[in-house]
Amino acid sequence: MPEIHVVRKDNRHLYEPYFDPYFRWRHEIYVKQRKWMALDRPDGREIDQFDTEDAVYLFCIDNGQLIGAMRALPTLLPTLMSDIFPYLNIRGPIRRSDVYELSRIFVIPERRGEHAGPRVEMLLLTAIMEYGISVGLTGFTIVLESWWLPRFERCGWKAHPLGLPQTIDGMSVLAVLVDCDDTTWKSLCGQIGLTRPILTWRGLAGLNRLALPDISLPPPAFAQPAQ
Amino acid sequence: MQSLEPYWGRQALDFVDAIEASKTSASVIAQFERMIGNLGFHAYIMAGIPTSGQSLRQLTIANGWPTEWFELYNRENLSAVDPVPRHCFNTLNPFEWKDAPYDREYDRPAHSVMIRARDFRFHEGFCIPIHYDDATGAISIAGERPHLDPETKSALHLMSVFAHGRLRTLSRPTPVASGRRLSGIEAEVLRWAARGKTAWETSQILHISERNVRWHLEEAQRKLMTKNKTATVAIALVNREIML
Repeated sequence: MPEIHVVRKDNRHLYEPYFDPYFRWRHEIYVKQRKWMALDRPDGREIDQFDTEDAVYLFCIDNGQLIGAMRALPTLLPTLMSDIFPYLNIRGPIRRSDVYELSRIFVIPERRGEHAGPRVEMLLLTAIMEYGISVGLTGFTIVLESWWLPRFERCGWKAHPLGLPQTIDGMSVLAVLVDCDDTTWKSLCGQIGLTRPILTWRGLAGLNRLALPDISLPPPAFAQPAQ
Repeated sequence: MQSLEPYWGRQALDFVDAIEASKTSASVIAQFERMIGNLGFHAYIMAGIPTSGQSLRQLTIANGWPTEWFELYNRENLSAVDPVPRHCFNTLNPFEWKDAPYDREYDRPAHSVMIRARDFRFHEGFCIPIHYDDATGAISIAGERPHLDPETKSALHLMSVFAHGRLRTLSRPTPVASGRRLSGIEAEVLRWAARGKTAWETSQILHISERNVRWHLEEAQRKLMTKNKTATVAIALVNREIML
């Protein structure tokens, strides 16, 4: 199964080799495929003003290859919603230490729609909940394409709309606040058959983490008959 | 596009808050009907789009079509020729019925559906596709002279998607009532137990250790709150967690 690594400013040096492919994949997916031309850069990398040292990344890595990723930004600092799409949020700005904003959620094309093992996108959606619970977050804001909403509903992500969907570059987009809680995480783990946390926190031993709720008992040390 | 007068935006958000707090499907449906009624729509349907071998009736989540139209539509299997559901497979965005493409000259069955719909005062309609990995559905609403300006369409889009989601959530059995779901491997191990295999035999078949097999059986037993392997298999079969 692929691994999902937490990458923050404290351990970023351990993941430097992954950043070049990461930014190139973002260019491939967001500029070349989705045609978000405002993000185009001549060096073939998609890096924006929010890729600062405060950004937290989840890298999904399989056999040493980056196959998917997600970015989380503190809402106390500028985000896509606050600086670029403020009109998508009519409930009022969200600037809270316990809410991060998710963006650039992707799985590389050849790893989409897999049926052997949990799907990579589901792994990422589960992993970010685990991250949020571990560091004490209660929610995530996201600017996303509207067609994601039924998928969120189906997998148990509770999304609260912050404004009306609007058409941007031919695609319906809206702003939501998603709950980050134990119930959602446990339900996701159950759906994809995870019996233990999935995140790798390499080089982050100094980080204080909150306990995760129990999703399964560890296997017994000795064989015990079932009956 | 920017800064629409947020009147309908606020209405739509209030609507979503209200249905998220609603505890019954009937209440969600009543609020949805009232809201679209205010916007000039008198009929709607929320359903999966049938593919071969499926009927619209079994895929319907909420049916607000006139009975006669729903019967006619099912009887003549019109979803197979209707350009509106067909267009849902080709777009992620909501669209007006009049923008669902078909060849007026050569696609007579499609044209016929659109004409017959007018008998039910479906002069204009709006359709919101719902896409999952393994299925496509839609929320389709119609009226004589409904509001279809950009802001209203945006509000309708939001309210419809959330009403549809809320109805699905309310119709799902609660986790407490249904117990925890078995993992894939737990179900697999139970299927072999149901066929009379011992833990050792199952371990050979699945290439895992016998200890692991016993562990999965115990986990399944714990989740289904049963006392022994026989009872676990029986309950898993009844709950359709495994099938033989």
